[in-house]
Amino acid sequence: MPPPNTPEVGVAAPTAATQPQDIHLPQQASPHASSTMANASQGESPILEIDYQSIEYLDPVDDTLMCPVCKTPFHSPITTPCGHTFCAECINRALESQSTCPIDRIPINKDRDYARLPLIIKDQLDRLRVRCPNKGCDHECPRENLEGHYDRRCEFTPVRCPDPGCAKLTARRDATADKGCLHVDIACEFCDKIVVFTELDAHYDADCEGAMTQCPDCETTLPRHRLEKHRTKDCPDLHIQCRWQMAGCKLAGKRRNVEEHMSSGCSFEAVGHLMEQHEQDRKTIRDLNSRLSSLEFSRNRRRERRDRRNNNNTTTPNLDGTPPSPDTAAWDSQEDYMLAQFERLEAQMADLRKQTQELNAHLSTSLVMHTSHVSDQLANLASQVGVLHMHTSWLMGVQRQQQMQTQARTGGSSATGSSGGEEAAARPGPAAPASTEGGLRHQGVVRRGSDGGRENRTRL
Amino acid sequence: MPVQFAAKRLSKELQKISNSLPPGIMLVSAEDLEEWLLDIKVLDSNPLYLNETYRLKFRFSSTYPIEPPEVVFVKLPDRPIPIHPHIYSNGIICLDLLGAQGWSPVQNVESIAMSLQSMLTGNSKNERPQGDEEFVRGNRLRPRDIEFYYHDNDV
Repeated sequence: MPPPNTPEVGVAAPTAATQPQDIHLPQQASPHASSTMANASQGESPILEIDYQSIEYLDPVDDTLMCPVCKTPFHSPITTPCGHTFCAECINRALESQSTCPIDRIPINKDRDYARLPLIIKDQLDRLRVRCPNKGCDHECPRENLEGHYDRRCEFTPVRCPDPGCAKLTARRDATADKGCLHVDIACEFCDKIVVFTELDAHYDADCEGAMTQCPDCETTLPRHRLEKHRTKDCPDLHIQCRWQMAGCKLAGKRRNVEEHMSSGCSFEAVGHLMEQHEQDRKTIRDLNSRLSSLEFSRNRRRERRDRRNNNNTTTPNLDGTPPSPDTAAWDSQEDYMLAQFERLEAQMADLRKQTQELNAHLSTSLVMHTSHVSDQLANLASQVGVLHMHTSWLMGVQRQQQMQTQARTGGSSATGSSGGEEAAARPGPAAPASTEGGLRHQGVVRRGSDGGRENRTRL
Repeated sequence: MPVQFAAKRLSKELQKISNSLPPGIMLVSAEDLEEWLLDIKVLDSNPLYLNETYRLKFRFSSTYPIEPPEVVFVKLPDRPIPIHPHIYSNGIICLDLLGAQGWSPVQNVESIAMSLQSMLTGNSKNERPQGDEEFVRGNRLRPRDIEFYYHDNDV
């Protein structure tokens, strides 16, 4: 996965880093999906990507979360350098024809980095409740879970037909090897039309003429294959019992009467809730109990194994890496053997980890010891350099002074020259004694320079 | 590029404008996602456009909204072509918003209609563009293929 700020082609969506990649590359999903699924047919990865522009949002979405280009809630949004947010797909499309921001027309370089989307917007988008886009599926979930549902769980996701010679798609629940290719023409059993098997449901809904039937209870006319659902869920005249039957309510009758009774408040309702709660609690307790017993069982097994190993193998685990022979009688199953190996390796790991830590500590102390010596020397050198610097600057000061004095003296001596009229006037009598003194100093400096630093230091 | 991109966006827009439109703008027909008709009225008392309704025809290509729709005024017995220095008498509109340069995908049918409404509201010149007759006689191009020269920024 590329880092979020390195767009590869056009503009890469920064949020792709936090989203599963398989929706963009469906073929990548297959190994993962099939490993998580016991049923191979359910692991069949979807061919089509979720069309985020067409999914149905259950609640009204705030305008601020709408992409200004496609007018739907953002999908893998990115923010332009000028601060506007678009779906990655939309901004890429818009930039194909004009390389400016669609809102304020500030030029946008396609290959430039884009600001990462604030996580708060991503969270808001993830929380939007959506309905599964597959026909026939009523699943509702937060948007962030939709891809998981669509890719792996939804029974209605279109996948490749199990017949390798057939290029069509079929719903995942029908794509099993034993059903074979379902893209065969069959005659509708209610009318005389020929339809493709997978489109039978759609045919019943849309244009089947012979499929109507009457509900025996309420006498409504409806498509035949809807009858069952109608009777279990809707039929107002079906004879049912009050929901709180188990709490003691004896009322039974037509659904509309029973529903009226329940909505006006069945007197057993409170007890019913309590009983439901109780039932739930009991179920939880049962679950916990079974988990506890399985945990105890595995713990006992482990303990037994350890005891046996300690008896068999009184020496400490060998660290030279030669595993004990698997066919010794100590291991009654291959699984046990593997577990024992695993434990042994874990012990070795722990040992190695300890050794590494010790080595690290040793290394760091020795390093400190060595470097402290060097750093002392360095400090020493630094102070010496400082002293030398002071000397040099003092000497340079002296030399500068002398040069000035030499100049003054030569100026004074050449005062009688053709050009030195004013100079002579500017340098009155005291020039001569100063120049003699300067001359002496000058000689001194020259001598010192040739003598070397030792005398230098003594004179300071 | 899938063709449905335009269709999806247009159905979203249609859903929105069938529910509500700003005053003075009415949806007349939108039978498919290729050609819509809208009526616009100028709301203030500009004498040039008082008590008149104008018919707009929008044509969308499959590249909408990346590329602009084609928008023209249509002449009918009770729907004249508004007089404006940027509107030719055959209904073709010279507006940078509708050209490839001035267009932006964040614009929509509603915003275009409102822009045209305000373009009429702000006009006080009772005249057609320069060379109108010649253009109307000679032009065989579709509006989007005409190279307009946006010479005038104050109307």
